[in-house]
Amino acid sequence: MIATIGFILVIAAAAAQVVSLFRKGDKKESLSPWLMAAAAAAFLGVMLSRSVKIGFIALTSTYESLLFYSAFIMILDIVYRFQKKIHYSRIIGFGATIAALVLAAIASSPLLPKEALPPIPALRSLWLVIHVALSFVGEAFFVISFVASLAFLFTKDEKKKIDFDRITYTAVAVGYPIFTAGALIFGAIWAEQAWGRWWSWDPKETWAFITWLVYTLYLHVRLIMKKKNAAPSWIAVVGFLCTVFTFFGVNYLLPGLHSYG
Amino acid sequence: MREFWKKLKSIKLAIALIVILATGSLLATLIPQGKASEEYFKLYPKLVAELVVQTGLNRFFSSILFLVPALLFFINLGACALDRLVRELRKKNKRRHGPDILHVGLLLLIVGGIVSFSGRQEGMVRLAAGESVALPNGEILHLIKFSDERYEDGRPKDWTSLVNLEKDGALLKENVEIRVNKPLRIGAITIYQNSYSAALAVAVSAPDGSVTTLARGESFEAEGVRIFFMTTEKKPGVETGEAQAVLRVQGGGLDGAVRVDSQGILVGRYAVATTQVLSTGLQAVSDPGYPFVLVSLILIGLGTALTFAQKLNDTLKEEKA
Repeated sequence: MIATIGFILVIAAAAAQVVSLFRKGDKKESLSPWLMAAAAAAFLGVMLSRSVKIGFIALTSTYESLLFYSAFIMILDIVYRFQKKIHYSRIIGFGATIAALVLAAIASSPLLPKEALPPIPALRSLWLVIHVALSFVGEAFFVISFVASLAFLFTKDEKKKIDFDRITYTAVAVGYPIFTAGALIFGAIWAEQAWGRWWSWDPKETWAFITWLVYTLYLHVRLIMKKKNAAPSWIAVVGFLCTVFTFFGVNYLLPGLHSYG
Repeated sequence: MREFWKKLKSIKLAIALIVILATGSLLATLIPQGKASEEYFKLYPKLVAELVVQTGLNRFFSSILFLVPALLFFINLGACALDRLVRELRKKNKRRHGPDILHVGLLLLIVGGIVSFSGRQEGMVRLAAGESVALPNGEILHLIKFSDERYEDGRPKDWTSLVNLEKDGALLKENVEIRVNKPLRIGAITIYQNSYSAALAVAVSAPDGSVTTLARGESFEAEGVRIFFMTTEKKPGVETGEAQAVLRVQGGGLDGAVRVDSQGILVGRYAVATTQVLSTGLQAVSDPGYPFVLVSLILIGLGTALTFAQKLNDTLKEEKA
């Protein structure tokens, strides 16, 4: 019920932003941040209630991961909306809201099991919680970089290109260390504790490694190329598609040690 | 020579190697890894299967397709890290060591990976309560109890092996728990709760309430009764599930092969029935590469965080200026 209210609030936030996109001028739309804050609070509230019910931090199922990921994208979207260090673009704010909406929609799908089940022994680890939480926080920044890089690729305005490039770079620069810590460092520590092997080249691990390589590539290409060059933006797009495949594709197409998550 | 060094440490080479490693890794996830050669001929057309097996794509991460670019990446990263470190050290101020720490961490991670790959050893042992196993360091691991905890819906909650560690008859550690996600570390060896299994046993209950549990091949003798647990077999007419024990019995009014299940029979004054005995599956691992990996992960974490913090600091200063 609360998750459904959250989902409706995200739809309302997206709708408010659609209206603002057609308005002229640079004035920021002021309703959607509050709607998103309420939606994120609803999603995190659902996670909290499930945590109490199962006696463990509820971040071990696909449903819970989707709620967390969606909530964090919205929190980031709000932070981006109110910060003053980098240029605010309504289209990027809207793109991030749509990403949060898509994840919330998948979470709401009747095809996805939603029963709050306590975790199996391998998942009863705080290392796992840190690993999953930081991975999604890192990936939430990659959502912003994805939307900004798409905006870069579609615009012809040179000034906007510089702004979008800077947003992409800032999002990757913040998301990369968090993703590195979550997906690789804490993932390896948990794997060593749970399975006795810190790296198994299991499909999920390999795709997390590929994602990390792509963003490493982005940072190095960005270092040697001019800011108006499209190559870094294309790499940021590929990087985000890798995160999507790591989350959904590997879970449903490539069985392995992470088949439950 | 200078030109060679310049090429060796170039970011362009790093970029090319990252692309090769990422593409190869992607291909490796699309092809099942580590199967027997004939499996690929069943999965793919002959030409494709031949290509997969001959190039080593079926065991990509230990093939030259991965190891050569990884080695080149290691050299490139080493050269780049050294060059960068020297440049930073020459600076009088505004030194930025975040990327250096990150690069050294990555180099150490590769070293750790190689040590792990070449020196990792593992072994499995199954123990029932009361059984022991000798560890490579001379210590004896004695299983006191194994418990299989379940949630109300029957899903597994926790598997715990309660053990004692002994050496030369002296007790070193008492009642130590080994659980999933909580391994026992003894020097260079780590012992993990890996699995468990349930085996059919025979419980012989005496009138005084004492119970003797027989594993397959064990026997019981008292008051002219001899019970030998020969083997197990499926119950006739039952396709799955319950098995029964085949015993050789002498005395107590019976003589010869006797079949017994969980319902039990009486042999003289003794009640004999099958029971389940849980055995724990413990995995002992020695990984000399893991300490390197752990240090490297800390360096990578520190390096990325420091790089970000320094970059943010520089940006803020630039904006202020």
